Amino acid sequence: MRSRLAFLVLLVVPLRAIAPQGNPRSIAIDERLAADAGLRVGDRVVVASEPGLPGDTVVVAGIVQRRADPAEIARGEYRVRLHLDHLQSLLGYGDRVDRFGVKTRGAGSTGDALSRINAAAFGFRAHRSADVAVETSRTFAVVSRFHRAIGVITIVASAIFLLCIMLLKVDERRRDVAALRLIGCSTRTIVGSVVLEAAAVAVLGSVAGIGVGGAASWIVNRHYQAVYRTPLRFSIVTGDIVLLAVALSLVLGVVSGWLAARRLAHTAPLTLFGR
Amino acid sequence: MSAIVDARALVREYRMGEEIVHALRGVSLAVHEREYVAIVGPSGCGKSTLLNLLGVIDRPTTGELSIAGERVDRLSDARATDFRLRRIGFVFQRFYLMQALTARENVELPLAEAGMAGTERRDRALDLLDYVGLRKRERHRPSQLSGGEQQRVAIARALANRPALLLADEPTGELDAYTGAEMIALFERLNADGTTIVVVTHDEDLARAAKRVVHMRDGEILG
Repeated sequence: MRSRLAFLVLLVVPLRAIAPQGNPRSIAIDERLAADAGLRVGDRVVVASEPGLPGDTVVVAGIVQRRADPAEIARGEYRVRLHLDHLQSLLGYGDRVDRFGVKTRGAGSTGDALSRINAAAFGFRAHRSADVAVETSRTFAVVSRFHRAIGVITIVASAIFLLCIMLLKVDERRRDVAALRLIGCSTRTIVGSVVLEAAAVAVLGSVAGIGVGGAASWIVNRHYQAVYRTPLRFSIVTGDIVLLAVALSLVLGVVSGWLAARRLAHTAPLTLFGR
Repeated sequence: MSAIVDARALVREYRMGEEIVHALRGVSLAVHEREYVAIVGPSGCGKSTLLNLLGVIDRPTTGELSIAGERVDRLSDARATDFRLRRIGFVFQRFYLMQALTARENVELPLAEAGMAGTERRDRALDLLDYVGLRKRERHRPSQLSGGEQQRVAIARALANRPALLLADEPTGELDAYTGAEMIALFERLNADGTTIVVVTHDEDLARAAKRVVHMRDGEILG
């Protein structure tokens, strides 16, 4: 177990470029701060815990990209990373930390580390990072469920709409079906050809839909990544989603085509001709 | 010559609400091999009803009907469909070609349904298109063909499975006088080459070209 760079939010005021001095400590700043303050790697700045205090002169050693974390989207504050001892001295905390991370070698050693840390002293509470992530993502899980519900409603409504369209489109072919029956095409042939065509249309429609969805997703991501200055992907078209879309489209197309074609193929040709 | 069509006392009645419509009132008709028969009469006289029965797309209420030696008046739907495929060729007033298919593919359709292999099917379709003078239009879709050309494709399709009987319902009804005359000539050539034809028409020129004219009125054959 070793102390590493602390991941703490620090109020940094004022922050300004100054002339070079001795051997200053290094800090890392996030890219949003770098962009807004016009800072680059190698620049020297002063950091202090309160406005008006003298603070320390430090050098910007790194610019850190923001994590793709939904929890950070709405946060407007800047982030500065300092060495732990430097942060402690700057804040006047002495030899004290609130939180720190421990990297383990595997799942087995994680459990062991948890037990040992929790038993080390009263008040120590160790958690798996996955558990912390689940705990802090509860809001997003609820939002995600809402999105899923909206998606399911949309799909069901679209399915009914598609079914009606398909029935109408096949019904437009009643004279073709009648002619096919008069020249001796069997019910099986007629239904099979309509179902095959419906399946082909469904697959082509899925491919087009995936293309449109991919493009829309790209536009959404580009827009909101720019608005919130985050690498987070707001819209993701996964392989599972693509498979679900194709399967759903195929099933809907085939079932509606089959229903419509079967109805026509079992109607007397003269009735189909309107006689 | 043997009788291709042997219809005896065919009666066809339709129920329309409380009323019964007597479309055919005991029609008997024999059409022999290589005959060319035109059925004429005023609208509503029952000629299309008779054609529907001869084409095995409708069943008589009573009476007996044999086509090419087979009783067809009580066939199931599936057997009637198969019978139409192999023994009867249909030519409609409005052609009813498949718009998505080329002329050759339209002719191939009944051949494919009958299970003919690809190359043989293609050759047969091309021969038929050649016969009706449309070999060079084989790749054209119906929308790219004139009315007369579409009707010739429809005739080629009707002849695909070498039917015992060719039935035509007002085949010149949608054509201009010149194209209609071409169609009449084609029917004459078909009959001269051995095809048995029954045609329902209002076209006096087409009826005059037939070897025998059957007059109908009020669901009965006159004379």
